[in-house]
Amino acid sequence: MTEPLTAEPPTALEGVRVLDLTGVEGQYAGKLLADLGADVVRIEPPAGSPARHRPPFADDDPHPNRSLAFWYWNTSKRSCTLDLTTEDGRALFRRLVPRFDVLIHTYPAAEAATLGLDHDALAALHRGIITCSITPFGEWGPHAAYLADDMIVAAMAGIMTLAGYPDRAPIMPPGEQAAICGGIQAAQGILIALLARDRTGRGQHVEVSQQEAMSIAQETAMQTWDMRKELRRRQGDAKLLPGVGTYACADGYVYAMIGVPGFGAPMTTLVQWMAEEGIAGDLMEEPWRSMLGGINLRELTALWSQPEKLQEMMQRFAHIDELISAFFRSKTKRELYLGGQQRRLLIGPVNSVKDLRENDQLAARGWWQEVTHPELGRTVTYPGAPYRHSRTPWRIHRRPPLLGEHTLEILEGELGLTRAQCEMLMGAGVI
Amino acid sequence: MSETATLPLAGIRVADFSWFGAGPIAGQTLATFGAEVIRVESEAHLDGLRTTQPVPPGKEGPNVSGYYNNFNAQKLSFTLNLGHPKAREVALRLIACSDIFLENYTPRVAEKWGLTYEDVVKVKPDIIYVQMPMQGSTGPHRDFLGFGGIIAPVAGYSYLAGWPDRPPVGLGTNYPDYVINPGHAVVAILAALRHRNRTGQGQRIELAQLESVAATLGPFIMDYTVNGRVPERQANRSDIACPHGAFRCKDGPPVTPPVSRASPPTAAAGQGEDRWIAIGVYTDAQWQELVDAMGRPAWACEERFHTFLGRKRHEDELEQRIEEWTRTLDAEEAMRLLQAKGVPAGVVQTARDVLEHDEHLRARGYYQYLDHPETGRSAYDGPGFRLSDVPYGLRAPAPLLGQHNDYVLRQVLGYNDEEIAELVMEQVVF
Repeated sequence: MTEPLTAEPPTALEGVRVLDLTGVEGQYAGKLLADLGADVVRIEPPAGSPARHRPPFADDDPHPNRSLAFWYWNTSKRSCTLDLTTEDGRALFRRLVPRFDVLIHTYPAAEAATLGLDHDALAALHRGIITCSITPFGEWGPHAAYLADDMIVAAMAGIMTLAGYPDRAPIMPPGEQAAICGGIQAAQGILIALLARDRTGRGQHVEVSQQEAMSIAQETAMQTWDMRKELRRRQGDAKLLPGVGTYACADGYVYAMIGVPGFGAPMTTLVQWMAEEGIAGDLMEEPWRSMLGGINLRELTALWSQPEKLQEMMQRFAHIDELISAFFRSKTKRELYLGGQQRRLLIGPVNSVKDLRENDQLAARGWWQEVTHPELGRTVTYPGAPYRHSRTPWRIHRRPPLLGEHTLEILEGELGLTRAQCEMLMGAGVI
Repeated sequence: MSETATLPLAGIRVADFSWFGAGPIAGQTLATFGAEVIRVESEAHLDGLRTTQPVPPGKEGPNVSGYYNNFNAQKLSFTLNLGHPKAREVALRLIACSDIFLENYTPRVAEKWGLTYEDVVKVKPDIIYVQMPMQGSTGPHRDFLGFGGIIAPVAGYSYLAGWPDRPPVGLGTNYPDYVINPGHAVVAILAALRHRNRTGQGQRIELAQLESVAATLGPFIMDYTVNGRVPERQANRSDIACPHGAFRCKDGPPVTPPVSRASPPTAAAGQGEDRWIAIGVYTDAQWQELVDAMGRPAWACEERFHTFLGRKRHEDELEQRIEEWTRTLDAEEAMRLLQAKGVPAGVVQTARDVLEHDEHLRARGYYQYLDHPETGRSAYDGPGFRLSDVPYGLRAPAPLLGQHNDYVLRQVLGYNDEEIAELVMEQVVF
């Protein structure tokens, strides 16, 4: 008698095969598909994708197989080296294409065409192929050839102008947000194209301009100009209302949103809490006490058209804000977060990644993933899933690939090359 | 709706019970590519965005907010007061003929409505049931209050944005609400649709916004889990490029700050608009081109600036010197000059720039101008990706509150006149 094997649950993208030729700025699309079960093969130049050279590195040891940025954006993928600038590399690549469903790349349009990666050329090899290009400004238009990194895309998308302090330069979003937004938009487009192909048998091209991919994150700035010809700018820590904004606390900062109608308890509740601790100052006395209930966005909105009254109100707010600030400074992030939630006050800790690692909620939900890296003889803690499917759970199917780890498996196993041929290609620098 | 019949998601119906940003944007993407998205809302519990700025001058009411409208184009609006005891039956009737159920409240709300997954699968066994709570439906913080503005700090994002010597104020927006959370939700939904098409099985999807945002901070988090280092915010500086930052250019004409916001000191009346250019130099060749563009000043030719490590060591001074040069130029002029030399550079564009000055966005038709019965013609963000077999653009503006009640009640739900009259009179449909 053998124990019945525990069947792995199915994956949503079982059977979908993806060629991932992305540089630093497109890797997330492939990860999203791979962690949902697609077989994603990274095609890398023999020296490795530039993404492998991005810090930080495991143990601060700069090596193409130790980039933590590469690791994170390439879970569940395989790696095959192939030099597409050689005839042999391109010939092998053309043989691979019909075996795949999707190809994602980040080359500028002209370079993509030179490498034979444009949709028409690939569709001639495989009618069902879905291609996707992710570039800073898209494949066409006056800025298509502009050089840009993540910050420059965010600048051109209208995101940076909203961020930072008025007395200093606008700030960029951290963590390559243009790449992340571009990758998420690309994955949506690819999946829609796959659903369409299931009905028509035809592939199509998905074009992602990172600038367009993140533009909607201007929030209301675009509409505020369109409708009112008013410009939203960076505000720093200027507080519109006491209780709404960033406050220093005993061990860092919290972000508070008190007095948003319909979202939690009002300012009165906060002052009650302060009074319990004996540091409400004179706020429990008149005239302040009866003023507290009126401190919310709705009341303030009513004053927008009366600048003089607004000004008077702002002066009163300053006194209230001073006392609230002192209260926040006397407590830790955690005390404010948990104590606030008990009272239905919207106060969020400004968490560092260390705080996140220690977050009770993420731990209780088993969010963190332990991934074994056998070649390093250790297990590494990865962030977990962005979403949870009940039947087709997200998972890290394999640790990120070493450079060229699956080259032979693909060339021999799928294209039927002999070991001798692979050795010759290696010698010639193709793989 | 024949114009949508050829679109990739034609025939898919979404019962969209979500509100504010993250949920409705996910629904809007599905609508753009052909799904029939029925936004379920109520006058008794209005979507906060319907009453939020900006609105066109002189306009008021629930239909004119640019904030709401931009996230709900092409949807149908159906008002249903879920606080009414008879509403649940109507909601279930709608879900029974939908493919996707979508909401983004705290988990208690679906329980209160009687619309949990267990309730819903009884009437629609293959439903794709999507919840987007802040913290998730389990765990000690499951019922914590949340809001778009809170999730960026809680999920670790705000800590990393901004100046090391100043409080972390995030990006000035509820950033994760607009692409990260709705985009992740759509990816999850489309994958589940594929699984349903192949197997006939629906399923439940939970996107906890905390997890969805934290999942985009991977390299920062792993620097801690692997190296024990806590990454700190470093404004615009980069570990792999130098110079890398935003530099002030010649001031523009004065601008009007929104009356709805506290006025930033630099935009005080009569003062010019501060204009900026973002520059990122990744190679020695790009550095030499930048030096050329500046007219090869003596300081820039000093040996200490020749190498990347040298530039990094003298970064404060380098930035100050570069800004002395950019201050003499219009931001657009600086961008064109640098791009012509192969130096990565771009204007820190404002909303006015992206709408009116960016020739590239205009040529690509990114912003969509739609006629709306109450706001008049107004701008919407276009789709965030383009498919070669689908015409680019939006087909219809956001719906007026309850605009499609009649269509939904009659054609979708099959109620007769008498039943409809009753639902309206009793303020179930409200």
